[in-house]
Amino acid sequence: MLKKTLYALGAVAVLLGLYGFYSRLFIGERDVNYGSYVTWGLWVAMYLFFAGIATGAFMLATLDYLFNIRLFKGTGRYALWVALVTMPAALITIAFDLGHMERVWKVYLNPNFGAPMAQLVWGYTLFVLVIVVALILAMRRLDGLAMKLAMGIGLFMAIFLSGGVGALLGVNASRPGWHNGMLPAQFPIFSLTSGVAVMMIVIGWFTPESAIRSQRLRMLSIAMVVLILVKAYYLWTDFSLAIYSGVPDAVEGVNLILFGPYAWAFWGLQLLLGMLIPLFALLVPRVSRNAFLVGLIGVCVLIGFAVARSNIIFPALAIPELKGLIDAFHGPHLNFNYAPSLMEWSVTVGVVGLSTLAFLVGTDLVPLLKQTSEVTR
Amino acid sequence: MAPPFTKHPKASEDNGRRNFLRMLVGATGAAAALQVLDALEAAPEQVAESLSQTVANIPQSVTDAGPNADVLIRMQADLARALKKQPGERRWVMVIDLRKCVGCHACTIACVAENKLPPGVVYRPVLEEEIGAYPNVARRFIPRPCMQCERPPCVPVCPVNATYTNEEGIVEVNYNQCIGCRACLTACPYGARTSDFGYTYAEETPSADGLIFGRDRAEAYERAASYEYGQPWSRPPGKHLSPMGNARKCHFCQHRLKQGMLPQCVTTCIGRATLFGDANDPDSVVAQLIKLPNVMRLKEELGTQPRVYYIV
Repeated sequence: MLKKTLYALGAVAVLLGLYGFYSRLFIGERDVNYGSYVTWGLWVAMYLFFAGIATGAFMLATLDYLFNIRLFKGTGRYALWVALVTMPAALITIAFDLGHMERVWKVYLNPNFGAPMAQLVWGYTLFVLVIVVALILAMRRLDGLAMKLAMGIGLFMAIFLSGGVGALLGVNASRPGWHNGMLPAQFPIFSLTSGVAVMMIVIGWFTPESAIRSQRLRMLSIAMVVLILVKAYYLWTDFSLAIYSGVPDAVEGVNLILFGPYAWAFWGLQLLLGMLIPLFALLVPRVSRNAFLVGLIGVCVLIGFAVARSNIIFPALAIPELKGLIDAFHGPHLNFNYAPSLMEWSVTVGVVGLSTLAFLVGTDLVPLLKQTSEVTR
Repeated sequence: MAPPFTKHPKASEDNGRRNFLRMLVGATGAAAALQVLDALEAAPEQVAESLSQTVANIPQSVTDAGPNADVLIRMQADLARALKKQPGERRWVMVIDLRKCVGCHACTIACVAENKLPPGVVYRPVLEEEIGAYPNVARRFIPRPCMQCERPPCVPVCPVNATYTNEEGIVEVNYNQCIGCRACLTACPYGARTSDFGYTYAEETPSADGLIFGRDRAEAYERAASYEYGQPWSRPPGKHLSPMGNARKCHFCQHRLKQGMLPQCVTTCIGRATLFGDANDPDSVVAQLIKLPNVMRLKEELGTQPRVYYIV
């Protein structure tokens, strides 16, 4: 029943996304609300979100295929599949953000490897190859040296690609909200948290009931509690450093998050739904052993993460670089007030739907994922 | 619904009036531009040849301008001297005398007309700052072209080497290489780059045969080629050709410099507030000005070393 509901939701999401896909592919970028001042919008935030899930899921897959943790034996293939379906979702959203997406090949043929973006594009390409290789090895039950090598390389890449996203933002010295060394250090932890959240959903909702499933969920719940506390600490350090530094642009960025027009998204979705409710709910043993509830909490954490990614991107860009720029010239896409357009939402919903359906179809059609015996063993 | 992450209240009625006036100025500029359409319909080679002849025909009295000549004449002479050097020996800088800027926005409009900038793209806005509280109020105007930084943050973040500093120190954009990722826009500390989303001013205006005149010619003018970086860049309808989809920025009117003409914003400035020349030439106007103690550059603390100086 749950799976059918998710299939239906995924299909509806894809239908809702058709408008956005058509608009972006055949009309262009005119219907977006980001522009020359708020240069990156919802799609970049969603790229961070999906890339975080992909790299985080891969990290979780190493518990099975690299570190041979008995408790997680059999779950690695699901984690790899999640990584495989969410990585393209990240790449679609970031490709749609390009003014000339038909020229993306230039990043391969004439890259500037000094630029974090070029490093990431090459890194993601290799990362997808590693995921595919690992899945093929898993299908053939080749758990030997080749698998260990693939997973080792993949784990290294997952950590550095996560940190690379932080560097993509952090290298911008002109954005005080981003320009600190902590950002690349924090992002791998964010990815790991996303990975734990998505595996709470996968194991809680898509694996058969068994004693070992309860143990796995309990372990993931404990990990999530710890990671939420770490994340909360990061949030505190980011905000307190900005506020205590007194640098006006940094303070204004934090004020926009905490008290701006969309403060409700921070307090309600990021903090309450994405952190506090999961934190306290998972401390209750009865909840952390309830597979459906654990999966639901995983969804809450991911929603909180989507908002958190947006709160990293938008407010930092909503501060004018120079006083007076806001009124100096008027025209389309020259605005510091950003709210995603209907078309941006449509694409985002569509991509979420596509990746959801891709995951579900995989669990039903890919032989490796249909075998449940090993998972429950 | 209030837009998110807004820092400023919505534009007041005063702003609305100001915007209307700006639109009026823009419309006047467009009308003037129509008059030059016929001239631009000539082949680019003819235009270039004509401009070269113009430079060659600059009177000796201008190229020999002494220290007491009008500053525009002196800058023209400076330019003529600089163009005789190898490109790598020149160091173009712009000096903006804030004491003389009256905030007329003529430079902004002239730049839009010269480079045929579409809606949403601006190279040289004039920032306005109100200082004090009524009745002790003053206003300050700060024209803001690209700073042509000697250490530009926009260059290293480009994933495809589409933006770079040329041998004369001008930061260029290779439109056909740019993928439109806006990383350079994000990195610029001055907000000096804008993205071209492919609009034209005429496209949203009404059309009525026999009632509205000039609309089609205005759109044809907008879609006809501009000559940034010395190449024709047209905007044919229904096609997504560069510079549409690209990052765009001020380039000190390189295409004019190569023809011996000063940047458009310099020649248009009614107060002689914008000055331009080769800082490597000790006799040039700009070389003498940037030594003054009351000269500053924007956000010097970042170490970007802008080539645009402000006299305050």
